[in-house]
Amino acid sequence: MVRARILLFATLRDKYGVRELEVKCDGTVRNLIENTAKAVLDKGFLGHVYDVGRNKVRDDLIFSINGRNIKDIKEQIKIKEGDTVAIFPPLAGG
Amino acid sequence: MPGGYVDKILKVNLTTKNVTTEAIKEDVAKKYLGGKGYAVYLLYQYLKEYERRGLSPQNIDPLGKENILIFATGPGTGVPRFPSSGRHHIMALKAPLTGSIGSGNAGGEWGAFLKFAGFDGIVIEGASDTPVYLALVDGKAEIRDAGELWGKNTMDTTRALTSLVGGKNTSVVCIGPAGENLIPMATVMNDEYRAAGRGGLAAIMGSKRLKAIVVSGDQKVPVAKPEEFRSVADRCLDTMKKNPVTGEGLPTYGTAILVNVINNAGAFPYKNWQSGVMPDADSISGETLTKDYLIRKRACWGCTIECGRISSVKSGPFQILTAEGPEYETIWSLGSACGISDFGAIVKAHQVCNELGLEPISLGSTIAAAMELNEKGYIPAEDLQGWALGFGNAAVIVDAPWRTTYKVGFGKYLALGSKKLCELYGHPELSMTVKGLEMPAYDPRGIKGMGLAYATANRGGCHLTGYTVAPEILGIPEKIDPLITEGKAQWVKAFQDFVSVVNSTVNCQFTTFALGAKDYAELLSAVTGWELSEDEIFKIGERIYNLERVIMNRLGVDGKDDTLPSRLLKEPMPEGPVKGHVVDLEKMKEEYYKLRGWVNGTPTPEKLKELEIEL
Repeated sequence: MVRARILLFATLRDKYGVRELEVKCDGTVRNLIENTAKAVLDKGFLGHVYDVGRNKVRDDLIFSINGRNIKDIKEQIKIKEGDTVAIFPPLAGG
Repeated sequence: MPGGYVDKILKVNLTTKNVTTEAIKEDVAKKYLGGKGYAVYLLYQYLKEYERRGLSPQNIDPLGKENILIFATGPGTGVPRFPSSGRHHIMALKAPLTGSIGSGNAGGEWGAFLKFAGFDGIVIEGASDTPVYLALVDGKAEIRDAGELWGKNTMDTTRALTSLVGGKNTSVVCIGPAGENLIPMATVMNDEYRAAGRGGLAAIMGSKRLKAIVVSGDQKVPVAKPEEFRSVADRCLDTMKKNPVTGEGLPTYGTAILVNVINNAGAFPYKNWQSGVMPDADSISGETLTKDYLIRKRACWGCTIECGRISSVKSGPFQILTAEGPEYETIWSLGSACGISDFGAIVKAHQVCNELGLEPISLGSTIAAAMELNEKGYIPAEDLQGWALGFGNAAVIVDAPWRTTYKVGFGKYLALGSKKLCELYGHPELSMTVKGLEMPAYDPRGIKGMGLAYATANRGGCHLTGYTVAPEILGIPEKIDPLITEGKAQWVKAFQDFVSVVNSTVNCQFTTFALGAKDYAELLSAVTGWELSEDEIFKIGERIYNLERVIMNRLGVDGKDDTLPSRLLKEPMPEGPVKGHVVDLEKMKEEYYKLRGWVNGTPTPEKLKELEIEL
């Protein structure tokens, strides 16, 4: 098991009442999100962030590992000890 | 006459006090639409006339009588249900800060109300000897004495003129003391809090002693195919409502939501771009703004996005009852760029900038450059006069706007803008500008396409011209990798061409998070009665961009100026997710020039012929 830091932003922060938490997982993104759901005491978190049917992070989020968007990571994704995962709902600016 | 126009351009010569009108030329409107496009066309005609008279464009003084200032609307402006169409665009032959083309765009109501007053645009020539303002009421225009208004801040000026003129749909565009004092970072303000900021357009008004333009009226803007337009507009508005950005993100958090997004990506410039990561960015984020400072949202005329914020600072040394904003760019320039994490100070400083009519991106960036100069020991103590100019000192950003406006103490050096300030102290490399215009809040070492966008934006270091942040970071319309250079040129060109159309329609660029060129083709076709395709939309945009570039070339700008500060080209990002990265500009630039049909930043005759640009 590895420990990762989860950062929630915008409406995710408001909905789940937390900005930052430390979560243990087996190194997979799915397990990380499942354990985060348990930590925030809301089963809905999994479906909010993860497309269970397609077994991947939802397309409409910004999900980054150490600042790198998961969609830009070409190599196989593995959560490592001390990684920071940031999750933003869809949004923008100027 | 096609729909969307009220068929009247006002021409004012402030030297002779001559006031005339001319009709919209339909053949020009078909090629250049309106707004920025039509203004670029008009500016080029002036340039040609000056050359015919023996005045070289490079010798035109931005603060002299020969400079031309144009306030423009387009066929979408002021049309009810045309998405987010309260805006106007301002163009000038030369911007005081950069010496090259001036271009600014603002929201609020003034653009729509200019149309209701009976005018599509206003061309200002010459200069008055004494302060004046223009009153455009119910189709008539007058030059009036502004002696009592000169010296007033933008809020007092707006309220005085709104009250004096009364009437329906009354709105004021004006300058504050910064514009009167010819500060090259002075911004034109309208409706109290909206700004056409970059390049010092308000200093041009100051040099012409034009304090304000008040508009009022009730004229309807004609629509060629009302039923078709209604159907297309309703569909577009529904698309915008359902889009997570225009329907939820921006309304809920405003543009400030970007602080954590960009900082997380390691591209939030910190302490004059010495890093791309701000340690306590969350303290000045959209989330913090919403939780601790927000009173309510505010929308521009005809806009469903409502990204405007009204804020207050409830207590502390920077207490303020109400202020509009701050926006992402202001939060960055007065915050992270200066190493400041005190949100109250940023809100207060922004309010002071608005009152004085001073542009925060350039001001904040200039302060940041001065902070780095001082920390490195390059500024003599006698110039500072005891001012504690250092990163993280919140009092500096609240103090700086009035010092700069009135050139008090070190303010007289800040008033130069960062390029001349850094040159003065022997370190031009510390000015983070392109073509003299300070770059906004995205470090291209972490968002490579923005490097090309900044380098090739006609008006200088501008993020709006080619906002590749959308695909590179936000994944709109699709996700592309921000750390590669391949393929970025076509994105930058596409954005530049499309945004040229948006600025010529004159409505809000934020609609493009949800709407595309096809939507604009349908909206504009229904309003004007022309049959416009998506391809034609891009061709019109490309034409406008190229003619603007022709003007730039005549002003002395070419490929050597399409570049970036050496910090971004040669200093690897020292920390964060994009540690080690620089901007590989030359590869992207080569690809971009090929796509554009330019050689050394100059459109070829073949390209101009293809675009039917007649020189």
